[in-house]
Amino acid sequence: MNYGRELLKGNTDSLLLCLISRQPTYGYQIVKELQKRSNGYFQFKEGTLYPALHRLERDNLITGKWQILPNGQQRRYYYITENGQQVLAKRLATWQDFSTAVKAVIQAETT
Amino acid sequence: MSSISHYLNRFKASLHIDQTIRDGVAQELCAHLEDKTQELEEKGLSREEASKIAVQSLGSPEFIAEQIYETHAQGSWKEALLSASPHLLVALLFTSYYWQNMVYPSIILALAVGIAVYGWHRGKPIWLFPWLGYYLLPVVVSGILLLSLPEGWGWIAALIYIPAALFVFVHIMRQTARRDWLYASLMLAPMLVTFAWFSSLGRGNELLASDWAARLQTNALWIVVSFVALAAATIAFIRLKQRRLKIVSLLIPPLVVLFAVVAASGDNICYWSWLLLLFSLSAFAIPLWMQARAYE
Repeated sequence: MNYGRELLKGNTDSLLLCLISRQPTYGYQIVKELQKRSNGYFQFKEGTLYPALHRLERDNLITGKWQILPNGQQRRYYYITENGQQVLAKRLATWQDFSTAVKAVIQAETT
Repeated sequence: MSSISHYLNRFKASLHIDQTIRDGVAQELCAHLEDKTQELEEKGLSREEASKIAVQSLGSPEFIAEQIYETHAQGSWKEALLSASPHLLVALLFTSYYWQNMVYPSIILALAVGIAVYGWHRGKPIWLFPWLGYYLLPVVVSGILLLSLPEGWGWIAALIYIPAALFVFVHIMRQTARRDWLYASLMLAPMLVTFAWFSSLGRGNELLASDWAARLQTNALWIVVSFVALAAATIAFIRLKQRRLKIVSLLIPPLVVLFAVVAASGDNICYWSWLLLLFSLSAFAIPLWMQARAYE
């Protein structure tokens, strides 16, 4: 199993929450934004995005609303909820601690 | 048909959830595919090539449908308990001699009819279907009992009643299966278990032997166990996320009860009871079989 893919899978929810917390957005825009922000590192499997978004919505971490774009097309925009913001803050703190600890161990190994 | 329409049709055909949610997700996927197609067209691809690539990059529609189903298919504990409660009420009837007093079965029947009618007109929530099964039970039983009326009266009554009852039965089955095949089996599971026990009360060509009440009381403990098992299966069905596991949880308890009762009753099962069992077994198993075929 690809280690990078497993890492992405384990952190998909946090990445989605993080993007949605910056600005309300919709499915396709999320895929593009993830690719752009990660300089193409996150090649998100597009089909897995919607089940993940619906899971977050079911857990009341985000909420979806249909909106009409200036060109008349409709897109379902996702907004982070208050509960989602709290969960994201906790996850980011945990991730920072984890990342710092991993770095410390790796640096000790390489020096 | 365009690649996108074909893709969305496959997705909708694989996703057995509330129609409003299903159409909403399909609309989201459609918007995604349109965006991707437009982007590829701007890069110089033809509309046909672009939509093909867009569909490929989204992945298998059946896989997405399965993942979405798992998100929405798990009912709450409240729904699970409400779905299991008619089975538990019937089990309660046999814990003592309550079933012999017509007041208690009548209360349960009235409750089943009331809740079934209420749920049917309130968007057919998942907890409705077991109640609907008990609502349909007397409809079918009355038709069979008419046949045991004396002389030619039974046949005359049956000729009028059975087509009307079958119409109601088929209409409810079709409406239920349109929502989800598995809900039709969930609805008919109590009918299968009830008819299994009903079939054990005959003798020779008689639908009900003279000592049927004594035999029913002798089997009371096992009847309670069967309906409690059915309640447990219903709770598992509502709470499980994976469709395959739902099928297994729904299939095993009623079939175990059916085969155990038939094996124990042996020669006592009369012609009409066999007909009843065959009818309920087909109605119960066909939706599950149809669903299993979809996985092949």
